Amino acid sequence: MSTETVTSPGTVVSAPARSAVAASARVRTFVVVFSITATVVYVLCDLLGWPLFTYHPATGRLEWGYALPRRNEGPVMYWYGWVLTTAIVSTVVAALATFVPENVTRRIPLFTLWLLPVLAVPIMFWSLMNFWTK
Amino acid sequence: MDFSIFDYITVNTFWTILFIAHALLAVALLGALTHQAVSVLMPVRQAAGANFVTRFRAVQGAGYATAVCVLWVLTFLMGAWIYVKYRTYVRIPIENRGYWKTQGTFELKEHLVTIGLGMLPAYWYLWKNKAPEYGSARKWVTVVLAAFCWYAFLIGHILNNVRGFG
Repeated sequence: MSTETVTSPGTVVSAPARSAVAASARVRTFVVVFSITATVVYVLCDLLGWPLFTYHPATGRLEWGYALPRRNEGPVMYWYGWVLTTAIVSTVVAALATFVPENVTRRIPLFTLWLLPVLAVPIMFWSLMNFWTK
Repeated sequence: MDFSIFDYITVNTFWTILFIAHALLAVALLGALTHQAVSVLMPVRQAAGANFVTRFRAVQGAGYATAVCVLWVLTFLMGAWIYVKYRTYVRIPIENRGYWKTQGTFELKEHLVTIGLGMLPAYWYLWKNKAPEYGSARKWVTVVLAAFCWYAFLIGHILNNVRGFG
């Protein structure tokens, strides 16, 4: 079933009727906190070097945490470790947030859902300064 | 009898096929997100008898939300798979040639698509709820995701031109 609603002057949005999942206050809290936390944690992982594991693609070796390249074993990859760190931390934080009273979690401003990712762009750009200045 | 796909195709062909699958998924994702972003930035009330641009803007954005999430995840997973090969077979030659800025733009792509992945749960929720309070967040989350997708698509294309898998 589709319905149509005017959400702001000049903006028409057609959307399916709310499902039980989409209507749940706990789901709302989980997804909002997850998305905000994921952006923050991923940026911190990159800036502070927090991979859950390090991958050596030339040999297939996995090491827990942050590891330096080994002699004659090629480069290392931290990105997979950052993604897993981000996924785990965001899931735990979002799950814990669902136990917080709804009147508190409703105060989380929704504009942070897009503003934080936008603010992350110059930070990530800055973190890659080595590439821009070589 | 052991079966190995490399008895039939070369290693480079295998990775090229994976890359093309990744690229095709990205094309579908880019199209869906662009439609949706345009529909929230420049909504139309009546598309009947309109021109191409107006019909492009007139799509029902909510119908794209689940598809965008699925496509983003699939594209991400395919990208994560070929990233292993990329790190040794593509990136090292690029570094040896001194294309540092090109490499940096790809690193930024990797960050943006991961941040975009984290935005998906909220994005999906915002599109599945028609409450007016979500209108602004829905609009800008969609636009930011579309911008990230465009950046990723173009940089991926450029990187493949500089040094592909084949």
